[in-house]
Amino acid sequence: MFNTLEVAKDVHIHTRVTDQFKTVNFSLKLRRPLKVEEAAERTVLTNVLQHSNAQFPSTASMRMYLDDLYGTVLYLDTSKKGNEHVVILNVETVNDQYLKNSDVLSKVLELMHTVLFEPNFENGTFKENIVAREKEMVKERIQSIFDDKSRYAQNRLTKILAPNHPASISANGTIPDVEAITLQSLTDTYQRMLAEDVVDIYVVGDIDETKMVEELKKALPFGDRKSSLTITEIPKIQPTDTYVKEKQDMKQGKLHIGFSTPVFFKDVDFPKMQIFNGIFGGYPHSKLFMNVREKESMAYYCSSSYSAQYGLVYVMSGIDVENEKRTLQLIDEQLLAMQQGEITDLEMTQTKAMLQNQLKEALDSARGQIEIYDQYKDLDEDFNVEAWQTKWQAVTKEDVVAMAKQLHKETVYFLSGMEDEK
Amino acid sequence: METIRFDQLDETLYYEKLENGLEVYILPKKGFSKTFVTFTTKYGSVDRSFIPLGEQQAITVPDGIAHFLEHKMFEKEDGDVFQKFSEYGASANAFTSFARTAYLFSATNHVYESTETLLNFVQEPYFTEKTVNKEKGIIGQEITMYDDQPDWRLYFGTIENMFKEHPVKIDIAGTVESIDQITAEHLYTCYYTFYHPSNMLLFAIGALEPEKMIEVIRENQKKKEFAKPTPIKRIGVNEPSEAAIPERSLRMDVLKSKVSVGLKAKETSLSGREMLKHELAISLTLDILFGRSSDFYTKVYEEGLIDESYSYDFSLEQGFGFAMIGSDTHQPDKLVQAIKDQLKKTEQNWPFGEEELERVKRRRIGFHLRALNSIEYIANQFTRYKFNDMNLFDSVAAIEELTLADVKQAFQSLQGESQQTVFKILPLKDSTKTDSESEGSKA
Repeated sequence: MFNTLEVAKDVHIHTRVTDQFKTVNFSLKLRRPLKVEEAAERTVLTNVLQHSNAQFPSTASMRMYLDDLYGTVLYLDTSKKGNEHVVILNVETVNDQYLKNSDVLSKVLELMHTVLFEPNFENGTFKENIVAREKEMVKERIQSIFDDKSRYAQNRLTKILAPNHPASISANGTIPDVEAITLQSLTDTYQRMLAEDVVDIYVVGDIDETKMVEELKKALPFGDRKSSLTITEIPKIQPTDTYVKEKQDMKQGKLHIGFSTPVFFKDVDFPKMQIFNGIFGGYPHSKLFMNVREKESMAYYCSSSYSAQYGLVYVMSGIDVENEKRTLQLIDEQLLAMQQGEITDLEMTQTKAMLQNQLKEALDSARGQIEIYDQYKDLDEDFNVEAWQTKWQAVTKEDVVAMAKQLHKETVYFLSGMEDEK
Repeated sequence: METIRFDQLDETLYYEKLENGLEVYILPKKGFSKTFVTFTTKYGSVDRSFIPLGEQQAITVPDGIAHFLEHKMFEKEDGDVFQKFSEYGASANAFTSFARTAYLFSATNHVYESTETLLNFVQEPYFTEKTVNKEKGIIGQEITMYDDQPDWRLYFGTIENMFKEHPVKIDIAGTVESIDQITAEHLYTCYYTFYHPSNMLLFAIGALEPEKMIEVIRENQKKKEFAKPTPIKRIGVNEPSEAAIPERSLRMDVLKSKVSVGLKAKETSLSGREMLKHELAISLTLDILFGRSSDFYTKVYEEGLIDESYSYDFSLEQGFGFAMIGSDTHQPDKLVQAIKDQLKKTEQNWPFGEEELERVKRRRIGFHLRALNSIEYIANQFTRYKFNDMNLFDSVAAIEELTLADVKQAFQSLQGESQQTVFKILPLKDSTKTDSESEGSKA
């Protein structure tokens, strides 16, 4: 799918030439082991780099330049993947061929260099007022989770289920860690990131591949990485078996449940667990949707998701407070039914068809191509859709039953309103 | 079947109007493996008063019925339509907005079978009192979910402030009380009035053969009988041009206040190319006044009056239109003042010239070209444009044509303090009570 070239030790450029899109997409990923304090540093760093550099010291000047480049989209962000923390620079720009007379692409490459390698320093560090402002912005972002009740409930669930574990560490870090950042610590983090992080540079579009690689090498001159960044195994979840109820001033109850499984992304059982999750609560034909929503009218949504990086399955539903016990019972019944082999041929066929469709659809966007390739390239095999289709096709009902039996309910979290009755 | 060629964009659109009045548009996209099909009726939450098909007397139906009907279309005598789509590996969905109800699927396999399933399930209503009552629990939970979302409350609170009579101010899903009044008979009445093929549009885009697709649709439609197309009689309202309520607020369990300034549009009667130019002109002006490269943005960002949630937007349909500018903020009153000052400056002395306009034109052209990578965006937007007699693929050319005079003229639609309204969401624990507080009463 992508052509990969190692331009320095642990620095890879992945190119994909296609005329499918009217734009050219870049994605730069900088990784190192996930640590909670560093997550905060790196998130504030992405904000600082996004809003200010030596050439464009203010947000407005930077934005004006992006507008001039036909509204080129450029943003930095942080995320996590398993045990790694990732700083991302995403850029999307219009392909020159759709414009009357322009040379946008080469200017965009220069700009990527400016954003990463020409910081707005004063006396050898970032500027005080900018850092202070962006620390505030990141704090506000972390706090805003409280105002979104579903996200808040899911966040609380993972914290209770897996404390101090990569599954519950936020890519944004914590508020105290943001507050502890100094000009010097942020500058050190920046320099460490450029020198040490493992680098992957993706580009997708109607490009001249050889020329693009040369230009990228110039624009993003990353040298050899030291091989000191070893990523450790993801620790096992400690059994919790807890039931936590909390209250806020709100109307709908948010029921979130966390299950542990021994099956991770890199395991041979991964496709089996995907099929289990699809039948359990992954799709509108699933047991949770058909029973909790359609049959019992308990909820507008009741679904499950499989977080393969951490071997966890989550169930979430929004319900009337008085239906808490009944909904829990219904969810348990669906899992039990699957453990006892109540799985139809139709459910198997539907789920396999949906998984195939989902993967193929995701590959219809440049961003999807990059993200899927970035995830699957770590496996010891070349990624292709057909190979995954074959794996899903081979999964039997017995396999799915075996997966269902390996689920262990760890944590139930219920967030509800102050009054018990409406 | 006709073909329409867009050279600059390298796209070819196929079009046919069937005998029963259904308009079909097909856009093949090379390189894509998925196909996306939408089947949309020009019927949304604002269509609450009308003369039912074949009758003389106007009726007003319970609030939230268009959305309720959308939910109920998926249930048939032999079960749930999602089951069938899943067999084909197709993801089906639907949504209801102020002016439209859309049914859709995306698939990478069994595309033509899925298209038939889409046509059939939308054209074979099946409502019973039992299934209708069962849905009330599900939609009741959907309404409650939105009630807990502060951003949704802010959005709708602002709209409620702006409109006195127009049904756009009624939440799309209705209320738990209003949906309780809905019966199977209501649903059939709305269905037969608004789901006639002549009031609908099918858009198919992606990995498909246009000839084969139109053949499947033609054959499917030939087999079905429909009443003679008759014009739909909607009952309009007299909506004053100025905003109904200047300011309100609501307390919720949030940590940070949210505020939105709404600007009610005076000009809501355009259609076609004029409407396209008008809405683009207003969007460009908002970009210059409130965009991230504006002096305004720099000032409020540096003063800490806004955060990353800051946004502005303009919506226009026939009969109503509004802009909104808002953000999460610790200082709602100060932010409101800054927004109002910026608007006032614009009225007193037009603050920008050709150079700024040129820059935001480029930005918008880039936005449109990027959006054309998304087949979902094309299908949804094409339908909206078409229902207003506009063409999505004219956008880039229309942007290029806009002059400073056009932009100034268009923006008058939003100008004047009478058009402005403010809605705030305030934290429960906040002790500072503002004068205008009225605990979220519905006007």
